[in-house]
Amino acid sequence: MRYIFKFPDIGEGLEEGTIVEWHVEKGQSVKMGDSLVTMETDKVVTAIPSPRDGVIAAKFGKVGETVHVGSALVEIDMVGVEGEAAVAEVNKPEPVEEEGAGVVGTLEVAGNSAVLSASKEGVSSSSSDTNKAAKVLATPVARALARESGIDINSVKGTGPAGRVTKDDILRFVTDRSKPARTISSAAVSAPVSENLVEIEPLSQMRKTIARNMIQSKHNAAHMTVFEEVEISELDRIRKKYKEILSQNGIKLTYLAFIVKAVALSLKKFRALNAEIDMDRGNMIYKKYYNIGIAIDTPKGLVVPVIRNADKISVKEIASQIQEISDKARDGKLTLDEMKDGTFTITSYGSIGGLFAVPVINYPQAAILGVGRISKRPVVKDDAVVPGLVLPLSLSVDHRIADGGETARFVNSVMDYLADPVSIIMD
Amino acid sequence: MYDLIIIGSGPAGYVAAIRAGQVGLKTAIIEKNVIGGMCLNWGCIPSKSMMESVKLYQRIVKDSARFGIEGIDKKAVSFNWSKAIKRADTIVKRLTGGVEFLLKKNGVEIITGEAKIVSANSVLADNRLLETKNIIIATGSSSPKIQNSVEGLVVEPKKLFAEREIPQNIVVVGKTPVAIELAQLFSMMERNVTIVSDSSLIMPKADSYVRNFMSARLKKEKIDIVYNVSLTSTEGIWKDGILNLSGKEISCDIIINAGDRKGNIISSDIEIAKENGYIKVDEDCETSVKGIFAVGDVNGVSMFAHIGSAQGLHVINKLKGIETKLDISKLPMNMYTVPEAAQIGLTEDELKAGNYDYKVSEFPLSANGKAQTEGAAEGFVRILSDNKIGEVLGVQIVSQNATDMINEAAAYIQLESTVYDIAHTVHTHPTVSEVFMEAGFEAVDQAIHK
Repeated sequence: MRYIFKFPDIGEGLEEGTIVEWHVEKGQSVKMGDSLVTMETDKVVTAIPSPRDGVIAAKFGKVGETVHVGSALVEIDMVGVEGEAAVAEVNKPEPVEEEGAGVVGTLEVAGNSAVLSASKEGVSSSSSDTNKAAKVLATPVARALARESGIDINSVKGTGPAGRVTKDDILRFVTDRSKPARTISSAAVSAPVSENLVEIEPLSQMRKTIARNMIQSKHNAAHMTVFEEVEISELDRIRKKYKEILSQNGIKLTYLAFIVKAVALSLKKFRALNAEIDMDRGNMIYKKYYNIGIAIDTPKGLVVPVIRNADKISVKEIASQIQEISDKARDGKLTLDEMKDGTFTITSYGSIGGLFAVPVINYPQAAILGVGRISKRPVVKDDAVVPGLVLPLSLSVDHRIADGGETARFVNSVMDYLADPVSIIMD
Repeated sequence: MYDLIIIGSGPAGYVAAIRAGQVGLKTAIIEKNVIGGMCLNWGCIPSKSMMESVKLYQRIVKDSARFGIEGIDKKAVSFNWSKAIKRADTIVKRLTGGVEFLLKKNGVEIITGEAKIVSANSVLADNRLLETKNIIIATGSSSPKIQNSVEGLVVEPKKLFAEREIPQNIVVVGKTPVAIELAQLFSMMERNVTIVSDSSLIMPKADSYVRNFMSARLKKEKIDIVYNVSLTSTEGIWKDGILNLSGKEISCDIIINAGDRKGNIISSDIEIAKENGYIKVDEDCETSVKGIFAVGDVNGVSMFAHIGSAQGLHVINKLKGIETKLDISKLPMNMYTVPEAAQIGLTEDELKAGNYDYKVSEFPLSANGKAQTEGAAEGFVRILSDNKIGEVLGVQIVSQNATDMINEAAAYIQLESTVYDIAHTVHTHPTVSEVFMEAGFEAVDQAIHK
C-alpha cells in the first residue's frame, strides 16, 4: 500500500515552504519520526518527520523548490499494509496535521464518484461538495498542475469522465482565483483608480500569519492593560558594572535580560499570569514552566522566539540567549522549536520609541508586558527631588484569566525585582 | 414518430444508430447503397485487406530467403489482384453483415433509399415521409470529380477495388495519407507510380518529422511526387498514355482520384448552413438547424472513421442529456503508409508556433529487439512533452504497427498523463511497444537501450 505524505500545516498558519535539504533517498527505509526533509518557511527552518514506517517510493520536489501546505512531499510504500488496513491507514489523520488543513488528493483511492456507471459518464454530481476525506479523481497532469499552483485539488470541480478533475478544470480554477476581488476598501472606491495613489502588494505569508494571530487574540481575549513606572537607577548601576565584565565573553548585558528574569520569578508567584484558559472543556491550565517570548522586530515582520525556563537560568545566560535568538531572528534562521511553547511574552519597543502602549496578548497566553523607553526624570526619593532613571511598563492581561488584583500584584513584583535587582538572586 | 433518423450508414452513422438503439431511442437509418458506407465497403477495410496481400507478396519475394525459407521460385511468384480482391470482399461481407445484425438487434429500422430532408422534423425516403424529433446527417464525403472523357482513365477510390486489372503506369491524385497509401500499394505491386499533390507538401496534417521521413521513404521507393499541381481535368493534357503536367510528361494509364474530399451534401428543403463544401457544425456537431446534426466526413472536421464514430456517440449522449466533451485534439490520427505512421496531440510545428516549453524524446525502432526479429526495425516513437510538469503533449510513431501502437498514446493523452506515467508503465518484453517506455525514460532522464 502506498501512502502519500503531504506537507503538513506545521501549526503556524504557514501556507508554503521551501525545500532546504532532503534526508531520505528513494528506496530508503524510514521509521515513523525519522526526518524526511528540512523545510524553510517564512518563520522557521524545520525538519519534517515521517508519519509512517515504510520505504520511500518517491520524493516530490527538489532542493530550492517551493511546496504548498497540502502538496505531496513523499510517497511511502508501507510494506504489508493492504486491504482494510490500508483504508484505515489512509483515513488515519496525520500526526501533525491541523484540523481543516488543505489536503491534496493524491492518494490512490478513488472517490465515490469513480464508480458511476458508464451511461452516467460525466454527469455533474461529482462536485466540490464531496467529502474531503474521499480522494478526488484526477488526471496526472491535473495533479501536477494543482501541486505546482498550490491548489487543493479537492476544491476543484471535475468535469471529466466520472467527475475526474482535468487539466482544464485546474486552469479554469487558477484563472477564476486570480480574478481581482470584487470588494474594495471604501478609500479605494472614493478615490479615482490610479496607480499613483495606491500601491497594492500581495500579503506575505508572515503578514498573513501576524494578521490572523492578532485578530484571534483581540477576538478571544478580554484585554485589560495597566501602566506603571519603575525607578531603576540601581539596576542601571549593576548593569553597567557587569556589562563590562560580560562583554569580555562576548555577551551583551541588556536591561531586557533582567526584565525577563524578574518576570519569570514573578510568574512563579502569580500563576494566573502564566496560565491558559480552555473555555471548551471548562479548565484553567496553570503552566509550571516559564518560557518567556521576546518579540523581535525584523525587516520581514515580528517574530517571537522563546527563552526557555527563564526562572531557572541566570541573568547572564538569559542575556546570552537573547543575543543568540535576536541574531537568528534577524537572519531568518529561527527554528520552529525556538518559537514554540511560550507562556508569557515581553515586547520591548522602548529602544525604538514609545513610553506606554496597549500590547496585544500573544494568544493563548495570559499576558504580555510592554517595555517602554527608559528616561532620566526627576523622582522623589526620601522627600527630595533627585534625578532618576524611569522605566515605563505596560501590562496587558486576559481579564478572563487574571483579575485586577492579581495583575497589580504581579506588576508590583516585577517592579520590586527591577528596583532592587539584588533581590533577584535572593529568590 | 421517430426519436432519431440517421442518414448514411458509414462508421459515423451506424455507430450512432447502434448506440441510439441501445439507449432506447426509436431510430431509423437510411442508406441509399449498402450498409457500412465508404469505410467498410470501399475504403478502410478492403484497402487494408489489399495492403496485407501486397505486403505478404513483398515479403515472400524479398524476405523469405533471408528469413530461412527455401524453395520459392521468385520468378513463379506473382500477385493476382482480382484474387486478392475476393479475399477483401469476403471480409467486407462478413463485417457489413455484422453491422446489419447489430442494427437490427438494437431495434434500428433500416430504410433503403435516397433521403431528402423536408423539415427539421421530417425526412423523405423510400416514398415515405418520416416524422422525427432529431436528424443526424452522416452522408460522408467524396473527392471532387476530375473532368475526363476517356473511359476508364480516372478511377474513384470507391470503384478501385472493382477494377479487374491494374495497369502499369499509375497517377495518384491527392496528398493525404490515403493517397500515399494507395501509391505505395501499387508501387509494391511493381507499378510505376506518380503522386500529384495540389500543394507544396504531402500529408499536410502530419508532424513535419513524420512527413520528412515518409518523403524520404517514397523517394527510396522511386515514387515520384509532382507538387503544386491541381489536376482537375484530363482534357488536352492526356494522350496515348502520357499525362502532360506543366511540361512534365508522365506515363499514365490510370488516374486514381484521391484528392481532398468534400462533404456529400444531402438535398434539403430547408437551409442548412455550409462552409467550404461541408455542413457547418458547432462543437456538439449540431448544424445551423436545431435538432439536425452532422457527423463524420460530411462536417469536414476530420476525415477519419474513428472520429466520425466518436462524433456520432457524442450526439447520442447529447440527445440523452449526458454531458460529454469531444476534444478532437485528443483523438489519434492513423496513416496506413508503409511503414505505418500515426500521431496524436500537438505536432512539433504547433508547439513551436505556440511557444511551448517542450522537449522531444525519441526512441528508434532499430534499437528494439522485437522490431528487429520482425524485420521491421524502420521507424521511431517520439514523445513531445512539457518541460515543467512532463505533460505528454504529442506522440508520433512510425512503425510497421504504428496504427495499433498509437492507441497506447491515445490513452496517455486521454488520461492527461505525464512522461513519468509512461516511464512507470512497465511494458512486456520483447515487444515493439517497449519503445514507449524507453522514450518515457528518455523524457524523464535517459533511455536504457539507447
